[in-house]
Amino acid sequence: MPRIVREAAVSWEGNVARGVGRISATSSGAFTELPYTVATRIGAPEGKTSPEELLAAAHGACFSMSLASELTQAGTPPERLEVRCVVTMDEIEGKGHQIVHSEIEAHGTVPNCDEAGFAQAAEAADAGCPLSALIRASATVAVSATLS
Amino acid sequence: MATERTMSTTWRGTLMDGAGTIHEAGSGAFGPLDVSWASRAEAPNGKTSPEELIAAAHSACFSMALSHGLAQAGTPATQLDTSATVTFVPGTGITKVALTVRGSVPGVDEATFVAAAEAAKVGCPVSKALASVPEITLDAALA
Repeated sequence: MPRIVREAAVSWEGNVARGVGRISATSSGAFTELPYTVATRIGAPEGKTSPEELLAAAHGACFSMSLASELTQAGTPPERLEVRCVVTMDEIEGKGHQIVHSEIEAHGTVPNCDEAGFAQAAEAADAGCPLSALIRASATVAVSATLS
Repeated sequence: MATERTMSTTWRGTLMDGAGTIHEAGSGAFGPLDVSWASRAEAPNGKTSPEELIAAAHSACFSMALSHGLAQAGTPATQLDTSATVTFVPGTGITKVALTVRGSVPGVDEATFVAAAEAAKVGCPVSKALASVPEITLDAALA
């Protein structure tokens, strides 16, 4: 199997309370120097991304690819899938901040596929998506799927 | 207090021949970003991928945790430069994350910096979320 390697880079300046970091997608160049801070990670984002938002982007994109693959293998390739992912971080007493939950909500336009078939494909996609497996090892993952 | 972050992706067509769009981030900080299987599994051609986003999330979280640890020890960093490299094997999953950090930290020796970096690697929320990755390595040194 081929090994796929992707890299990102961060520069951080200053101490944590007043510092600011910048995040770049080194492999693709798809985004560069996105600023982030402690205040906007924990509180209102005020236009700044955060590790949890990037994780939500990764999980949602990964799940949508897995779902497209499962539906195609079942003989009902999708026309269109809409996948929403919400990642929750919470402060756990004695353990600090932890990512506790990732919620996936999928809607699909899938010719010749009924609700049961779509739900089954979503379940298989969750089982096969590498990010669902990783997140589930330390947090909860919930998937809901309905046809559009 | 729980913090939520939301992202949405649209996918059109099959995995191999279709294409996806990661919509503008809930924060407004980036996007929309195109994704495809070819650019995930082969050359990126300017497109991001779940693995690159994980690398971004992990390097960002690690840097913040290390900055916090150094500040708490009374030796705040002037600058930290971190990269995360994520290895993905289709059919197996994410097999490795390699973290590299170079720090400018007045009043800190190499061993103290490395120990602070090891603590950040264990303690940051994304590290905890990725704890089941078979191999997470750290190369830490003063700049």
